[in-house]
Amino acid sequence: MEKRHAFWKIMGTTLLLALFMAASLVISPVMAGDKVIKIGNIIPLSGPSASVGDQGKKARQMAIEEINLAGGIKSLGNAKLELYYADSESKPEKGVAEAERLINTEKVNVLTGCWNSAVTYPTSAVAERYGVPFIVPVSVSDKITDQGFKNVFRIAAKDSWWTRDQFSFLKDMQKEFGASVKKIAFVYENGDWGKGFAGQWKQLAKEAGYEVVMDEPYPSTATDLSPVVQKIRRSKADVLMLVSNAADAILLTNTLAEYKVKLKAIITSGGGHADPSFLKAAGKNAQYIFDIVEWETDVNKPGAKETNAKYKSKYGTNLTGEAVDAYLAMYLIKDALERAASLDPDKIRQALADTDLKEGPGMIVGYDAVKFDATGQNEQASLVMVQINDIGNGLERISVWPKSARRAGYTPVFPKP
Amino acid sequence: MIVCPGRPLPFRADHFCGLETQMMYVIEDAINGILMGSIYGLTALGLTIIFGVLKVVNFAHGSLLMVGMYVTFWTVSLTGLHPYVSLIFVIPIMYLFGYYLQDIVIKPIFKAEKNVREPLTVIIVTTGVWYILDNLTLLLFGPQYRSIQDNLLKGKMIEISDIFISVPKLWGFATAIVTAFGVFYFFQYTRMGRAIRATSLDRDAASLSGINQYKIYNMTFGIGTAVAGIAAVTLVPFYNIFPTVGVLFDIKGFIIVVLGGLGSIPGAIIGGIIVGLIESIGPQFMTATWTEGIVYGLFLLVLFVKPSGLFGVKYDW
Repeated sequence: MEKRHAFWKIMGTTLLLALFMAASLVISPVMAGDKVIKIGNIIPLSGPSASVGDQGKKARQMAIEEINLAGGIKSLGNAKLELYYADSESKPEKGVAEAERLINTEKVNVLTGCWNSAVTYPTSAVAERYGVPFIVPVSVSDKITDQGFKNVFRIAAKDSWWTRDQFSFLKDMQKEFGASVKKIAFVYENGDWGKGFAGQWKQLAKEAGYEVVMDEPYPSTATDLSPVVQKIRRSKADVLMLVSNAADAILLTNTLAEYKVKLKAIITSGGGHADPSFLKAAGKNAQYIFDIVEWETDVNKPGAKETNAKYKSKYGTNLTGEAVDAYLAMYLIKDALERAASLDPDKIRQALADTDLKEGPGMIVGYDAVKFDATGQNEQASLVMVQINDIGNGLERISVWPKSARRAGYTPVFPKP
Repeated sequence: MIVCPGRPLPFRADHFCGLETQMMYVIEDAINGILMGSIYGLTALGLTIIFGVLKVVNFAHGSLLMVGMYVTFWTVSLTGLHPYVSLIFVIPIMYLFGYYLQDIVIKPIFKAEKNVREPLTVIIVTTGVWYILDNLTLLLFGPQYRSIQDNLLKGKMIEISDIFISVPKLWGFATAIVTAFGVFYFFQYTRMGRAIRATSLDRDAASLSGINQYKIYNMTFGIGTAVAGIAAVTLVPFYNIFPTVGVLFDIKGFIIVVLGGLGSIPGAIIGGIIVGLIESIGPQFMTATWTEGIVYGLFLLVLFVKPSGLFGVKYDW
């Protein structure tokens, strides 16, 4: 009996091991004889950010299937793209090790990843060392493209652009609706995120000539935010800018409505205000809030609706900002490879640097082009502002800015009635 | 010269405002502070009751509050009753929950440590209960933030010229005062209350006089949990409900209880009001994060100067 147990144990372990290995290696089957381009993807497939990694994986898969079905890379003799996945577990050291493995053992031609800024940052150094083009669909930390690397290309907007776009949005709104804003109040959660935003806001407000009437951090764990709301009310601000986590976002929104604080606009920074339960818990009090996001399903771009529908029927959920960036990354690689017409890393790198991608199935993002500056940052990237409003289907998030991405037929409500 | 609250530095001429406006602001904030503070006091009341008798700091108290909030949430959203009518269900449910929690989970540990005056392992067990309850709720109801959209109190305000008073908080204040007096009366003047006090003073002597101390413990835990349920009812009309909501009130509860004196019923309410006043008036003169510092500073000061708390008894027996 004892021996039998041991036998099954070993068998089980081997089976499991084999399964894990199979899962972490080749996913998309490729016909023998085809020329193949290997794309290594380091994303969090387990650990705390696993759900985001999973979305990125699905979006990549869908894009690759489309590209291969349409004939692959024509300039390389209809070469097919092949995806290699590595799990970063959201750990920097794992990301670095997997990058080494993908480059040395799997001999990938292009790397993408890693979503977690903390993983992308050290991993980009590995790619740079081996001279392998590294495409970052989304990792927001500014420093990733501030290293002077030649092989790192980021598609999504970086951290400091969130605040930049909030202010551009405010300026455009005033112009469009002829309302003027003078006094701004900053209220933010007392953490790295909130304080980082507030620091940039102060600089931007100074440059734009707004009067900052309030600059208030608050503890995210506060059980009563009416003192802060009272302060906002008494500051007589025109516009309130917020950085909040989930519980405090709901509490603030409700308390602001209770105290009937008159504001021309409330501009929020994602996080708690983008939490799925926010709309439900804050209800009507959330109406007219402007929130900044990477992507919204209703973005007015050709193909966005169809791609989202396809993704939804395939995987059961809507596309997210992260998924869209990953999807675009595959089309960016296709575009660069077509122009490079070679698998020489240097030629691919050069083609990426010369990118000016304006159309194609991948361009369902809120902005109009992918074009990299000298640091490898997509200089055209911007974010989308949405307004929470009810236009007959209950409260929903409606894209309003940039104007080219605005939902057809919707006029933003500004100033808030 | 009085600085207008809510105005940034540096001060300019128009940043100063009239004494009247200033007075009005302080009155408004003080009212909010007293109302909110009394609700804090109510959330801490159950903690102080349980400590007073069992001599155990109940780390699961916040979780009991959370359970109470979910019970209230489901009662109100399923029946559409006025939130305070749900007390009819919440009080007995929470009493039984506390009674059997103590009876099944905590009592065996008490028995194992019956020769120890302040049973430390029980504290560890209550911490375990805290984690189990929070995570069980997370498993059952998910991490969503809930609030009752259409309750009759939500967002109601009394406006007296420029002063806003929150109606749900006013209800909470009244409930806190009534509950505190009720509990005080019960302990002071009923036969059962006297038995509980006797057990709290000396459990061996109480046992010798024919009091079943474990039953008393069960009941006290039940009463403490029921009071947490009452506090939950006062919070639900204006606060969010989520699995870790208890943690926020837990920390506050410990500070209030130590400030007011462990085991003291008026101490919990007064301690709560002190914390509420600091939290409400403070932010008008400094950033809101500093008021937390003041609360903790006061907490430390009380520990240094009067370790038994403002209303605590110096020698408990």
